[in-house]
Amino acid sequence: MPAIEITGLTKFYGKQRGIEDVHLTVKRGEVFGFIGPNGAGKSTAIRTLLGLLKPDGGSARILGHDVAKDGVAARARVGYLPSEISYYPEMTSRELLEYHAGLYGVKDVGAQMQELAEYFELDLDREIDDLSYGNKKKCAIIQSVLHDPEVLILDEPTGGLDPLMQHRFFDMLERLNAKGTTVFFSSHVLSEIQRMCSKAAVIREGKITAVEDITTLLSKQMKKVRMVLRESANFTLPEGAQNHHVSGLKHSFDFVGSTSTLIAWLNEQPLVDVTLSEPDLESIFMNYYQR
Amino acid sequence: MNKVLYLKELKRNRKNSLIWGAIVLGFTFMILSIYPSFAEMGEQMAQLMSKLPQEMARAFGIDDATWSSIIGFYATYYGIYITLLMGIFTASTGAAILGKEERDGTAEFLLTRPLSRRTVVNSKYAALFTLLLAIYAVQTLCAIGGIVLFGTTMDWGVFQAMHVHGFVLVVFFTGISVLLASFVAPKINFMGPVVGLIFGSYFLDAISKASDTVEFLGYLSPYHYLQLQAEKGVLEVNWGASAMLIGIAVIAMWAAKARYLKRDIAG
Repeated sequence: MPAIEITGLTKFYGKQRGIEDVHLTVKRGEVFGFIGPNGAGKSTAIRTLLGLLKPDGGSARILGHDVAKDGVAARARVGYLPSEISYYPEMTSRELLEYHAGLYGVKDVGAQMQELAEYFELDLDREIDDLSYGNKKKCAIIQSVLHDPEVLILDEPTGGLDPLMQHRFFDMLERLNAKGTTVFFSSHVLSEIQRMCSKAAVIREGKITAVEDITTLLSKQMKKVRMVLRESANFTLPEGAQNHHVSGLKHSFDFVGSTSTLIAWLNEQPLVDVTLSEPDLESIFMNYYQR
Repeated sequence: MNKVLYLKELKRNRKNSLIWGAIVLGFTFMILSIYPSFAEMGEQMAQLMSKLPQEMARAFGIDDATWSSIIGFYATYYGIYITLLMGIFTASTGAAILGKEERDGTAEFLLTRPLSRRTVVNSKYAALFTLLLAIYAVQTLCAIGGIVLFGTTMDWGVFQAMHVHGFVLVVFFTGISVLLASFVAPKINFMGPVVGLIFGSYFLDAISKASDTVEFLGYLSPYHYLQLQAEKGVLEVNWGASAMLIGIAVIAMWAAKARYLKRDIAG
């Protein structure tokens, strides 16, 4: 049974498109990236998945529970970290977290709450109204994991966190994932997706344009090849090469295809030096986005 | 109903309830405490008031009984001010009970917990009626205490009937406000329209009593239907009108709930 299964999910705001015919499957134990620019439909998809928005079509299941018919059971097994944090300003973080645990019917969270607060350096007894945005985010992170969810849904999770806290946050995610927690990670910060996720979907204008393993996404993409030869040579470029430029003994070309084919071809050349530039996820994303 | 949410809702409204409770109690006690002074000059007051235009006296429910007995005196003020104050408190709380979480941005937190929207609404309605019953009960007890303290003779049957009508009015305004608020964008504060609704209802009834030509306006006001009925010389509750208004309030709250269950929650 998949952790998340979205089938043809569609949501319009009046005539304005939110998401359209979204299909996604996230396996249990996966760290799944959800990439897209602002306004692409990431938050709409998540808010529909969590029952805040009523879909115009399609369906979604979390751990087998239909979110429209059995949303309570689905949400009981989910931890959610929203992109924008709005909590009850008159409460302290401790009160909010106790309230959260109470709504989940979880008791005796004091020790775990304290441990997480120390890990993220959050003062639990300050009123939420007095907290900086970064500290509110820490409180939100703690509430998202306090009840030991099986699926974590994170919407732009690192906004407002300093680099040290981001590092701790990612460490925590890796530990949780190692214990079997599924992570659905929505972000437009591609380095985060690249670091954390094994698979990702790209959403553009409300539609999924690609769902790939991160390694496949990277390997499928163009590589920049720069080589310096010992002597001039007559060669035929490998299949998949294009944009060949020559400047004396320096050659450069773009290559799309199997890396092992490229390496074998390079091995036959009288090389002094060679540089292969891996595209970062940014350029891959732009590639998908421009399609 | 979810007990955690219910208690949280009570706590969240605690400060507002204490302030409104203090206002209502203070006003009730003040009215009753000044009655002995008016009673002493009852004859002069009656003469003075007899010079008021009949229409105005009728509109504001002022008659000979206003000055000759503590129940008449209390009834005049209860009808005008106390039900208005209690109505404004419970109706404004009711209008905000579902929309406030969206206005404050906390709806996303609440509705992503493992609670159905039905449970959320039921818990909030339960908290709302707890607050309504609390302010109503405390006001009634304060009035009984004040009457015992400052009155001489008292017709408790009329008092009881009057308070039943007061309760019906408060429930009616609360139900209607919850429904009207469900049609308004949650980000809008609904306090102003609530005050307008209650004052408007009161003045429609007052104007309809002042002149026969605008008598029809009274039919638009719940006050019109809640005149105590004289049965064999005894003033009694108008049970038919009370049941009708309570029924309208229940339907209004059910309709507001149905709308809430189906709609998108603002982010």
